Amino acid sequence: MSSIKMFEKPLGMRDTFPQIFEKVEAVRQAGRDFLCKRGYEFIKTPAVEYFDTVGKASAIADTHLFKLVDSQGNTLVLRPDMTTPIARVATSKLLKEMIPQRLAYFASVFRAQEAEGGRPAEFDQMGIELIGDQSVFADVEVIVTAMELLKHLQLESFKMTIGHAGILNCILQDYTESIDQQATLRTLLVQRNYVGFEEAVESFDLPKAKSDTLLQFIEEAMDVKHIRDIEKYVRKNDALEYMQQLAQLLEMADLADYVAFDFTLSSHMSYYTGMLFEVFASGSGFPLGNGGRYDGLLEVFGSTVGATGFSIRVDRLLETLNGQSEKQQDATVVLFEEEQFEVALLKVKTLRAAGKLATLQLRSSLVDEEAFLAYFTEVVVVRQEEVGSE
Amino acid sequence: MNDLTIAMPKGRIFEEAYQVLLEAGFNLPEEVEMSRKLMIEIPEEKIRFILSKPMDVPVYVEHGVADIGIAGKDVLLEQQREVHELLDLKISNCYIASAGLPDTEMNEIAPRIATKYPNIAMKYYKGIGEQVEIIELNGSIELAPMIGLADRIVDIVSTGRTLKENGLVEYEFITAVSSRLIANPVSYRMKGERIMDLVRRLKKCVNEQKSNRV
Repeated sequence: MSSIKMFEKPLGMRDTFPQIFEKVEAVRQAGRDFLCKRGYEFIKTPAVEYFDTVGKASAIADTHLFKLVDSQGNTLVLRPDMTTPIARVATSKLLKEMIPQRLAYFASVFRAQEAEGGRPAEFDQMGIELIGDQSVFADVEVIVTAMELLKHLQLESFKMTIGHAGILNCILQDYTESIDQQATLRTLLVQRNYVGFEEAVESFDLPKAKSDTLLQFIEEAMDVKHIRDIEKYVRKNDALEYMQQLAQLLEMADLADYVAFDFTLSSHMSYYTGMLFEVFASGSGFPLGNGGRYDGLLEVFGSTVGATGFSIRVDRLLETLNGQSEKQQDATVVLFEEEQFEVALLKVKTLRAAGKLATLQLRSSLVDEEAFLAYFTEVVVVRQEEVGSE
Repeated sequence: MNDLTIAMPKGRIFEEAYQVLLEAGFNLPEEVEMSRKLMIEIPEEKIRFILSKPMDVPVYVEHGVADIGIAGKDVLLEQQREVHELLDLKISNCYIASAGLPDTEMNEIAPRIATKYPNIAMKYYKGIGEQVEIIELNGSIELAPMIGLADRIVDIVSTGRTLKENGLVEYEFITAVSSRLIANPVSYRMKGERIMDLVRRLKKCVNEQKSNRV
């Protein structure tokens, strides 16, 4: 391997330049205002956690974890998501004070990348966790909050697909003949390999009624406009009733237009025991965010109160918001010579008091005056005579 | 109607896939000039083709610069990218197999496998409980056993002629390969109707051809 050059940064790590920083900050502020008004309190957790606790409990694959060793020889990880640390802090402390908890975060998470570029290894996530409410209303609150947050951020063209692990499990159980078959089909669905799903179903040699139903299910279940379209596949169970109620509540919230149901939606994570969803928006090639009920994760930390939440990737959000107009703020620069410092100081003070963005700069320090001044909308040069007249 | 960008491999697969699209009733010019162009616009159908190396099709689709694409199953298995695999087009049928010089055993201590598909080969040999050393080559894989670089090769086989001409025999069948229609997860949702319509039309064609052959 070649030696590291001075300008290099680790694979997947990015600098945030002032322009992008401002955009991120605008999203952060808008999101924070919005979530605070809904009773979500912001929280921060350490960047580094134990591998044995948060690292193992997290949904992120081992190979994507940044690992370090502390001075006692414990393996540490850079937090790969925010949900797991929040589950840790909620179960160990916050839930003893109040249930349910409404928590929000805006933080960077770390996921090591393999050899290819195009994917950041550190990126900001914004999201909420609603911990300690197992009702369908908590899930609806999370879904509605996610969608209204996106609307609040001026995102118009987005879609959400909602599924339910329980319904998928029920179908897989009813129409296959062994646990192995179920596992195979579920893995193929996680990979979104519909061709493989069909091939696998055919190779199982199931009774024709069963295999036909499975194949028909896969065709229809990916994009279900109305929940009743799926009822014929599922025997009456809690999951189905839950989703019927959820669909009804979303209609009341007048957000049904943004929603499609996808009952093939499956997660490699066994924590997602109930409803789960993904958010997509034009402008980014990757999903914008996801969420769902993760009662199972809380159980890992010894609590049975249940939890649900969502997270949005800020970098992808910025991609989708890219086309939108950004207002250029007026900026003034006050140029002065050494002996005029006092007058110049007074000048910027007046400008700043009037709410203007004012930079103070010693003229003789400029290397390329023209290039420097190009960044400002207004230039004020403090003159010699002003010094005398003051 | 949304614009749809389709990533296609250059060469023979493009021609076969293009035929399928014509049969599915898409309003495309009968002949496309394949010269050196990398992008072909079809305004009548609001379709744009981007032409790339077969190995690169899933890259374009994963990053969302192409909404859908046509990629060989070999490439999909090798790269494991996050794309939806929607339809088996049943064209360019072939398979991946291991091959070597006739009547040879693999080296017991460190069997060496030359291949263009390091991930597929590694996964296969792991699966059968064999620890092997992979040597990645970019072409003329058949050379490797002949000149003693490797015990076996893992490569794509369509007719088996290349193997035969180089004095090699097939040992193990690894997996069947054909061209697949893949989609970007976001496009699949945001342009769902167009993509599903295309899938349905292509599926009909593929099934008809299948029954014709039977």
